[in-house]
Order: sequence, then C-alpha cells, then structure tokens
Amino acid sequence: MTTPALALAGATRRNGFILEVDLTMAVGETIAILGPNGAGKTTLLRLVAGLERLESGSLRLAGRTVDDGASAAAPHRRPIGWVPQDRLVFDHLTVAANVGFSPRATPERTAALTDALDLTGLVNRPVGECSGGQAQRVAVARALAADPTVLLLDEPSAALDVESRHLIHRALAADGKPATLLVTHDPVEAATLADRIVILEDGRVTQEGTPAEIRVRPDTRYAASLTGLNFVDAYARGTMATTDAGTGVVLAEPTAGPVHVVIPPSAVALHTTRPEGSPRNVWQATVTELRPAFDRVRVALDGPLPLVAEVTPDAVDRLGLRPGSSVWAAVKATEVTAHAA
Amino acid sequence: MTAPRTVVAAAGLAIAFLALPVVGLLQRAPWAGLGSLLGRPAVADALMLSLLVSVVAAGVILVLGTPLAWVLARVDIPGRRLLRALVVLPMVLPPVVGGTALLFALGRRGLVGQWLDAWFGLTLPFTTAGAVVAATFVAMPFYVVAVEGALRSGDDHLEQMAGTLGARPLTVLRRITLPRLLPAIGAGLALAWARALGEFGATITFAGNLPGRTQTLPLATFLALETDPEAALALSLVMLAVSLAVLVPLRDRWLPSR
Repeated sequence: MTTPALALAGATRRNGFILEVDLTMAVGETIAILGPNGAGKTTLLRLVAGLERLESGSLRLAGRTVDDGASAAAPHRRPIGWVPQDRLVFDHLTVAANVGFSPRATPERTAALTDALDLTGLVNRPVGECSGGQAQRVAVARALAADPTVLLLDEPSAALDVESRHLIHRALAADGKPATLLVTHDPVEAATLADRIVILEDGRVTQEGTPAEIRVRPDTRYAASLTGLNFVDAYARGTMATTDAGTGVVLAEPTAGPVHVVIPPSAVALHTTRPEGSPRNVWQATVTELRPAFDRVRVALDGPLPLVAEVTPDAVDRLGLRPGSSVWAAVKATEVTAHAA
Repeated sequence: MTAPRTVVAAAGLAIAFLALPVVGLLQRAPWAGLGSLLGRPAVADALMLSLLVSVVAAGVILVLGTPLAWVLARVDIPGRRLLRALVVLPMVLPPVVGGTALLFALGRRGLVGQWLDAWFGLTLPFTTAGAVVAATFVAMPFYVVAVEGALRSGDDHLEQMAGTLGARPLTVLRRITLPRLLPAIGAGLALAWARALGEFGATITFAGNLPGRTQTLPLATFLALETDPEAALALSLVMLAVSLAVLVPLRDRWLPSR
C-alpha cells in the first residue's frame, strides 16, 4: 500500500469541546467534511495545519509524523496549503506577491496558477483593492502554489460569484491536485468535488462514504437533512417500525432491530380527506410552513411523525394549503427505506 | 444633536484657554529678525544639539522600543500587566523625578553608573550621551504605546497564514508583521521624537545645562527668557512649529477619532 497523504488518529480538546477523529486520505483524494456549525470542522483543519495540537494520538503527513501528542511540527514545516474561511490575504501585498508568497512556490507553478484562476490581469494590483471573488481566487492560488501534499479548504466558495466559484472548482479538480480536505456547508459542492464525504457531528465522525452512499443511506438526521430526506430512528419488528414517539411506520421489507427510517419528501402525498386504497402509511398532520424549492413547494408537517412533503405549487392551490391547515399525509410502504442503525 | 449652550460656552472657554498662550507667543514673535536670531551661535548650537539628541534618542527608541512593543503585545509573560504599567511610567512621572532616578541609577556613584565608570570609563551625567539617555527615557513610552496598540488591535491570523505557506518566523516578521506595522511605527516615532525634542526636566537634572553639550532647545529657551527674550521667542516658535507639524497629521492615529 502506498503512503497515505494524511493519516490522523487522535483527539484534541478546546474549551471543553473534544474533537476525536480517525481519518486517512490517499494521495490526490478529495474528502468533503460536512457537519453542523460547531461540529469541529475548522478545528480539524487547524489541527492538520499545526495551528492546534493533538492531545493524544498521532498525525502523519506524507508518511512523516508531524504531531504525536507530545511534540508537534510548526506550520511552516508541514507540506500543507490552507485556505481559511476569512481568506487571510495579505492586503499590503500585490496579487502576484500573494500567490508567490510561499518559499515553496516556483515561478512556473505561480504563473500557471495565476493563469488558471484568471488573475493574470490583476498581478500588480494590491489585494486590498480586489473584489471578494478575486481575493478568494488569490487565496486558493496562493495555497496551491505552496505545492501542498494536503490542501485544507474552509468553505472555499461560500458567497462567491458564479465565475469565481467555477474557476476555483476547476482548479480544485485539475490533474495532479493535492489530497484535499474540503470543509463545506454545501452538499452539492461536496458531491461535485469529493471522492468521499465525512460527516462530523459534535467532534466525532458520524458517517463516511461516497456521496451516493450518504444520499441513499444517511445514518443521522443531519446526514439526511443534507439531501432533504425525512429521517427518523425507529425499532423494527417485521414490516412494522415504531419510532421513539410511538408512531408506527409500515415497511415494504421485513427487518428487525434498530433502524434508520428514510422517507423522500417527494413520496409524501397530501390529501384533504383520509385517502382510501393502497398507501399503507397515513397520518393526520398540521402544516407548519410552506417554502418554495425550485419548481416545487416544501411543506413542513407536524403530526405523529414530523415530515416534509414536496408538492407542486398547483397542489398547494388545489388543497388550499397554508400554515395551520389540517391534512392527511400518505406514504406507500415501498417508498420507505429502513437500514440498520 | 444640539448641545446645551452652557456646555458650548464652557468648551469655548477651554479652547480659548488652550489657544491663548499660542496667540500670545505669535503676537510677540520677532518675525522680521527671525532669521538672524536663529542664526546666532548660541541659538544655532542649541538647535543643532537638540536635533542630534532627539534624532539619536529616536533611533534608540526604534531599535529597543519595537521589540519591547512586540513582546508586550504578543508574548504571554508572567506579570505582563505590571510590566505594561512600568513601561508607561515615564509618561506620568514628573520629568525631574525621572532625571533624579536616572542620576541615582546611571550617575557616577549610581547603581549601574559606578560600574560603567569603573569598567568602561563611561560617564553619562553632564554629557551629550546623558542628554540622549534622558530624552530616550521620557519619550520611549510614547512610541511603545503606539506600536503595542497597533499590534494588539490586530490579531496574528495573517502571521499564522504565512506560517502555513512555509515562511519561517523571521520571514513572517519581515514580510508580514513589520510592513503592516509601518504606519504605527512612523506615528509613534514622530510623537516620541517630538517629546524628546521638548524634553526639559529630566535633561537638566541628569545631564545639566552645558552650552554645546547638554543645553538643548528647551533649556536654551528657559535661559534666554532672562537674558534675551527675543531669542527665547524665536526658539519657542521653532518648537511650536515642530509640535504642530507632528500633531496635526498624527493626532487621529494617537487618539483615534471615529
């Protein structure tokens, strides 16, 4: 097996918050770190950068131990590139001086990245006079120019113009790219750029897998929320799963034990009267919120099972839905998936 | 908002009080003979000496005060609060007390002075070097406070960033910290220099009043007031001009306006 770009197994503590992560990255691999606010995503990046230290365990970069819990290599001795959320461009220097700042940056590399991120026309401009998108491109080019083994990106395209976002995504997908740890809130960005997604919640990895795996089998409510799926923990006996609140959900396939029940919002049908016929799961619920989502409307429901339904604007009109409306929600058993928790 | 009239009146009185001496100085100024007055040997000597003393003091302040400001702002040392208070002490200490303290520390029989004398044959009191020491002592805090303030108002995130790019600590200092600090260094230095130029109490106590060696502008002005009021006025004008030239562009930096 070839040496991984990053091998981390350890824990650190910060103001009572504990981050404990076991993570290995292959050379050139891109991992997206997704998680709610305060889950420790930024702390994880700072740990790899050497701006935080391990309390126990070890961190190896390109096979070299840079932190063993007792002693840690300084950031300038680590083969990394860091793009923090607040960019931290050197606004007293020009675009060119920023991109070529690293002692590891060769003129060829600097020139190629300046070109790739469309900064050629700005090289002599002080970064302080650049737009947000331009400054973000400078920050990405500067980190890549440092020839990192591991690139650390903290929300690299949050609140960016389309053009800058496109240029940055293209640079991050280019040939010979470093192993990349991408912190993001955006599931679409994660699915587009990452080979693997790691979900971090409250300082711990709660799930990791390919974007497709996370989409189909989310292990936590947070993971399900990324794709807008309804998610509930339940206990299954045969084709009946009972939630903690005591609501029964009929499943198509019999199973047993603790399960994660997932219901796509598009599978939730809404009716003004109790529906007859095939749907096996029917609950009476109250509409709490209506929110447009592209060409659909997401309808939040409060009932025996908190659900989000996705319906057409036409259906909203036809059913006369508004917050407070009483409706019947129906889900076919074949639309419900349950996987072992 | 509209200010109450009594407040405006009181503020006007304060302005008049502060401005009146300056007006008094200007209306008595010997404008016509200014050139020849300043050209007199005694006056010219004091001018040159003051320039020398204040510039050398500013140099010492730059070299020693910058690291001090950096340590006070960025290094977590025990007793930092006390150290900060100690550093600004000369700003509130009566200069005569400062001069007396210097005499007992660096005088020929002083705590350190006796060794300077015995080992290096170095005597500071009543020498030009002594005048530099006195000026440095009273002016250094002005510089340190300005630079430390600038260092503390910014965090060290850009320095961290530079480190992750592979820059060594000294490179970070040279390419990030110092360039960004230049405005504060310039402002602090100008204020400290102006304070050094105007230094009187500590100088006369520690370095004496020897024409050509320790008799700086303020000392010469004080003396001339008895014998040659015209010259005293001319010297005062010079110092007034210098003070205004330093303060007008820098006051906002020293005492930030909104």
